[in-house]
Amino acid sequence: MRMTAILLALLLGASAAQAQLPGLRKRGPAQPQQPVLEGIDALRADFAAQAGGTMVYYGAESVILGAPARAALALQAAWLRKHPEVVVRVEGYGDSLDTRDHALAVGARRAEEARSYLVLLGVPAAQVSTTSWGKERPGLGRAVTVLVR
Amino acid sequence: MKRTYLPVLLLGLAGAAYAQQPAATVIAIPPLTSPDSGDKGNQMLAVGWDVTQAIEADLRQTAEVMPLKPSRDDYYSYPEVTAPTFSKWRSAGAKALVTGFVQGRSDGRLTVGCYVYDVDKGRELARKGFIIGASDWRRAAHKCSGLAYTAITGAPGIFDTRIAYVAESGVGEARMRRIAVMDSDGYNHRYITAGDALVLTPRLAPKGSQVAYVSFAGGQPSVRVADLNSGQERPLVPAGAISFAPRYSPDGSKILFSMMLGANSDIYVVPATGGAPQRLTTSPGVDTDPSFSPDGTKIIFESDRGGTQQLYVMNADGTAQRRISFGGGWYASPDWSPDGEWIAFTRRGQDGRRIGVIKPDGTGEKLLTSGPGDEGPSWAASSREILFQRTGAAGRSGLYRVTLDGGEPRQLATPQDGSDPDWSGVMD
Repeated sequence: MRMTAILLALLLGASAAQAQLPGLRKRGPAQPQQPVLEGIDALRADFAAQAGGTMVYYGAESVILGAPARAALALQAAWLRKHPEVVVRVEGYGDSLDTRDHALAVGARRAEEARSYLVLLGVPAAQVSTTSWGKERPGLGRAVTVLVR
Repeated sequence: MKRTYLPVLLLGLAGAAYAQQPAATVIAIPPLTSPDSGDKGNQMLAVGWDVTQAIEADLRQTAEVMPLKPSRDDYYSYPEVTAPTFSKWRSAGAKALVTGFVQGRSDGRLTVGCYVYDVDKGRELARKGFIIGASDWRRAAHKCSGLAYTAITGAPGIFDTRIAYVAESGVGEARMRRIAVMDSDGYNHRYITAGDALVLTPRLAPKGSQVAYVSFAGGQPSVRVADLNSGQERPLVPAGAISFAPRYSPDGSKILFSMMLGANSDIYVVPATGGAPQRLTTSPGVDTDPSFSPDGTKIIFESDRGGTQQLYVMNADGTAQRRISFGGGWYASPDWSPDGEWIAFTRRGQDGRRIGVIKPDGTGEKLLTSGPGDEGPSWAASSREILFQRTGAAGRSGLYRVTLDGGEPRQLATPQDGSDPDWSGVMD
């Protein structure tokens, strides 16, 4: 469940950053506060919690779904089948050491592999689109993130 | 920019006279003179001096030609343009000489004449004249520089060309990337996209009038085409598919690109004016980064169909696909040289990413840069230099040029960090 914790922390971090105004920092550390999630944010949090995270990982240079990735996608698929009104996009990432265009294609393949598996597990194809960030977004490396729209 | 260039006075062009010299050829540049008199004459002489200095700056960039510093004391009279004092330049050490004149026209435009001479033999090598708008004198200088460079080396001049690249500014989430286009000497720098969407890999049409690039504006990366004269832009193919890696054919009539169909990336060709794409490869795996041979009959591309990225050649219709890279490591982003002799590539190996060249038949491979963060080679019109992207340890990238002979790459000045450079052919 470590991944869940990381993702929630990221969400909280983003909210806190938005709320922080210039000058506040000087008065001492901001009070931690639990934001009330609504609408799409609540759905995202629920998805991340129920599915145990929104990411699946590939080996370096690989576009093959391993057992942990398939298990993660199975949890995502279960949630998506229960929420047919939600549209998701699978965003694939390439490897940072790759060349630009190959990384773009690898990211797209990773996204498509994950999407195909979700569809195989009964998620309507129209519910899932794909895109690729290639190596243009740092940090995520070889992860595929499923975002809820 | 309007096409303000009308070649006139096209008399004798004395062809490529010099054999290639091992050392740089010293060239004298007596200031351009004018047949005009009075105030107008003074104005024209001032333009001529600007042109003279721009020619010097152009030729100083090259490895093959070394200009003597021009002096305003060396003005010729107008008749002397066609009869330089060769003995004087011989004793100054010059092997070649370029000069000319600027003449005002009644319509406000200028006639610029350029003359290139072999100083040793005391004879003319080339001459060319242009009618240009008064503000376009820099392009006239580039044309003169090209005339001299070609007369001396036999290779096309690289001065009247454009460079497109991705200008990068800001940090982290605020990092902005814009397609930028500039003349190859850095002048007339402008942004083609606004920075609201992530953009990649601009590729100029051969004469620099259009640029195809990848934009993430529609949610998925897809190729767009912008006309640099009209400012109009459009998607290359209808939305709904991931498309990338565009590159023009040498005659500018077609665009090669990659498109995803499911998990498969294949190479397609489409008329540059739009239309139905034709699929050229069908292998499972990633086929991408296609580049035409200069005669348009063959295509070099990269494919990981064999497990790792390698270079493949095929006919322009997709037949006879054949691997040419066997040197170990991974080979990517090939670009076919304008003279057809070489294919530039990025090689990924234990030592990082480096730029190299290989013959189209797979022989003669050599690496030109030391890496470790080099990629995206693009040939100069001369086929003697390669522009590429170098990313440093801090993650910042810049544009560099390296000669085919190797040597230390030189950084190209850009207002911000730069990536994905592309060098056009010579403009009309």
